[in-house]
Amino acid sequence: MSVSYGGDSITFADGSVNSSGFIGNRNRIINGAMVVDQRNAGASVTLTSGGVLTVDRWQGFEDTDGVMTAQQDTSAPTGFVNSLKFTTTTADATLSAAQFSLIQQRIEGTNIYDLAWGTASAATVTLSFWVRSSLTGTFGGALRNSASNRSYPFTYTISVADTWEQKTITIAGDTSGTWLTTTGTGMNVAFGLGVGSTNSGTAGAWAGSTFYSATGATSVIGTLNATFYITGVQLERGSTASSFEYRSYGTELALCQRYYEKSYAQGTVPGTITTTNQMQGIRGNGMFVSRVFFKVTKRAAPGTITIYSSTTGTSGKVNNANSGSDENSSVNDSGDGGMQVQGTTGSISDTYRYQWIADSEL
Amino acid sequence: MYKLIKDPITGEILEYALRLSDNSFVHRELNNEYLKWLAEGNTPEPADEQN
Repeated sequence: MSVSYGGDSITFADGSVNSSGFIGNRNRIINGAMVVDQRNAGASVTLTSGGVLTVDRWQGFEDTDGVMTAQQDTSAPTGFVNSLKFTTTTADATLSAAQFSLIQQRIEGTNIYDLAWGTASAATVTLSFWVRSSLTGTFGGALRNSASNRSYPFTYTISVADTWEQKTITIAGDTSGTWLTTTGTGMNVAFGLGVGSTNSGTAGAWAGSTFYSATGATSVIGTLNATFYITGVQLERGSTASSFEYRSYGTELALCQRYYEKSYAQGTVPGTITTTNQMQGIRGNGMFVSRVFFKVTKRAAPGTITIYSSTTGTSGKVNNANSGSDENSSVNDSGDGGMQVQGTTGSISDTYRYQWIADSEL
Repeated sequence: MYKLIKDPITGEILEYALRLSDNSFVHRELNNEYLKWLAEGNTPEPADEQN
């Protein structure tokens, strides 16, 4: 085996690269290989102005006159099995200044605190990813802080249509602004899919503005049936793009479950009628109470919880196994470790069945 | 639209309100969508006496 040293990296004979001091846990992006899709189980979703979760941790936004869908896909470069695919189903060829479509991941502040952004010691980072599109040209994206008053637009070029290409962008850390190191959003990593002039800025420079992409970038939503795929996204400390940090599926799933967890089996869309993995509880004197303990500690107490009847899939309901009917539920006493599901109807000793999702996404 | 939920035993308003559009429960202090809705001057429906 031969190795070569490149200042802050080691390149092995097979072309794989490790960067200095960060052999493990280099990638600050979670689900960068797009393998975990708890919410949709591979089904297509339509992007919305308020944001919709596609595969885990990746939020798609579309606030234009067009329509764009997103879906986990099996097209992938060598070494990957999944990507996230976007398709323009209604084009908007002339975006107004404030319109935009994008995909982004919000990185938790606790996962970037060592970068020391917002200080004179701000560390350089390198963003690498694989892309494929039916379009060619200059594309854009941006890093920005949680307050959206610090942004760094970047560009990359897709040279050949419908062909996987790997891109690398090195960014000097921001010495200004506020970059949270809490359980809130530390950093947004966005890839523009069509962004109007208001939120597009000069590439390669930090700015005190809200930029989602770079000026002049190609608009995917501007062309009917245009496709855009992305996978292998990695954000790491240093000026070198090391090889993608493969994590076991179980590890990646657990990382995702810090932000979203469900009782359903993986591969089952919430709301599906199924008793697999269902929760059960028995009503006592006052009411039915069932305690759920999360498999993974959440970033924070879930902002949204949905309870589903196991037998009808109806949201907000638990199923009374004795009467066979769905009955109202409620949720209380939640935290990062669990929650309480309860109901008041039915009779003492009745058995209740339900499924659940808990969402602590940023 | 949202609706408050009262604990049937203690009578206290629970920390999660019901989102009527999809019957999900939203944390009244942590759900950004709910907080934004409140900030726009909206108010949730009162809780039933018994859920």
